[in-house]
Amino acid sequence: MPAPSLDAITGFEQKLIVGVADLAVSSNPTVMITTYSLGSCLGITIYDPVAKVGGMLHAMLPDSTIDPAKGASQPAMFIDTGIPALFRAAYQLKADKHRVQICIAGGAQVMDVSGFFSIGKRNYETLMKLLGQHGLVVRAEQVGGLVSRTISLNVRTGEVRLKCSGQAQEGILWKG
Amino acid sequence: MERIDEYIRNAKSLPPAPRVLPELMQLLRKTDVDSSKVVDLVTFDPALTAKILQVCNSAVYAGVTQVADLREALLRIGFTEVFRIVASVIGEQALSAAQSGYGIGRGELREHSAVAAVAAQIVAEDRGLDPQQAFTAGLLHDIGKIVLTKALEGSYEKIIEETEVNQRSLIEAEKAVLGVDHAEVGGRLLAQWKFPEALVESVTYHHDPNSAPSYPQLAACVYLANMIAAFTGHGFGFQAFAMRGRSDALETLGLKGDELPLYMIRTTEGLKKITLLSAA
Repeated sequence: MPAPSLDAITGFEQKLIVGVADLAVSSNPTVMITTYSLGSCLGITIYDPVAKVGGMLHAMLPDSTIDPAKGASQPAMFIDTGIPALFRAAYQLKADKHRVQICIAGGAQVMDVSGFFSIGKRNYETLMKLLGQHGLVVRAEQVGGLVSRTISLNVRTGEVRLKCSGQAQEGILWKG
Repeated sequence: MERIDEYIRNAKSLPPAPRVLPELMQLLRKTDVDSSKVVDLVTFDPALTAKILQVCNSAVYAGVTQVADLREALLRIGFTEVFRIVASVIGEQALSAAQSGYGIGRGELREHSAVAAVAAQIVAEDRGLDPQQAFTAGLLHDIGKIVLTKALEGSYEKIIEETEVNQRSLIEAEKAVLGVDHAEVGGRLLAQWKFPEALVESVTYHHDPNSAPSYPQLAACVYLANMIAAFTGHGFGFQAFAMRGRSDALETLGLKGDELPLYMIRTTEGLKKITLLSAA
């Protein structure tokens, strides 16, 4: 008889919280990876449905060239260093680049005509360019707007849920 | 003004006036601070005294011997740090509750305010402004929300319409719906609490700093700090990003604009120290 799984014993999932400028990967099916309060920051989830490996990045800024030392010590702060770090971490758990489903959320924008405050927009543009260079496509996205968002990735199913700040209802961004 | 006062009068759960903070600000502005006066002031509040001693004896500052009284504590951690602790304790008391009219959950306003305080201090130190004033103004910039939250309950649809359809910022939407906004209410509350004029003005104009008559730089510093807090993942509530980007505020501070990401990084760094303090 196979040993009962951990969530069969405990009856609830484990929550793995990703902070700002942070990333996490997991192949544990009882894990729910969550990040809170994505404003202009971008949340990126990746999921390999065959290896059942999920990962999430919460990046704050587009480009590490403004502070290369920081990019080296805390790659998850920037899109350009965080995305490679996220994929590398997932590869360690046997994820395959060509199988991963990518979802993105965040990138809120203030009402700005000057462009000085367009961090959210720049984060998004940098991400799309980087993914394009590697031939990667986004399965689902909810970006821009005036709200901050919380997203969760279910490592068992690959489902991505999304909640906007101040709203009670959680929605499904990607069914997995 | 009458309308603002009416909202303040009718607000149910306002915290007691933080008497210690404005007086401490006045004391610390002098070049030779009399430590006995600071001790006298803080001693009145046992919760504050306990917190200061706790921080002194935490891993961040602890020396060979335990600090047992305030005078020794002041020597060990310095006036600036004591001031920051006092401000943070008061901020925690006033700002921790959920502000449901704004869609802000429990602890979220306190978090947003604490990050803005750290950001304001960093910008102020850089731009030659008073860092203590900036820290306090950053901490209290949204204090008006605790007055207006009740009045905004049930206005969610209107706020969404004003921001999404009419392209108003959140503060403009408040003004349209309630006739007042959280910045002017906050400034008025701080004036009633006898905070210095610079504080009152920088909170009143934290969404439109260049309209501040006497302290546009401090107001711009708070404006930027509020943005930084939202941009570093500490913005909460309905339409949290319905704010106007104001490049003239950057000019007022002598900034070009591409410094914003660097200030975001430095604020994130600065927070690590604060986290240590609050965990102490």
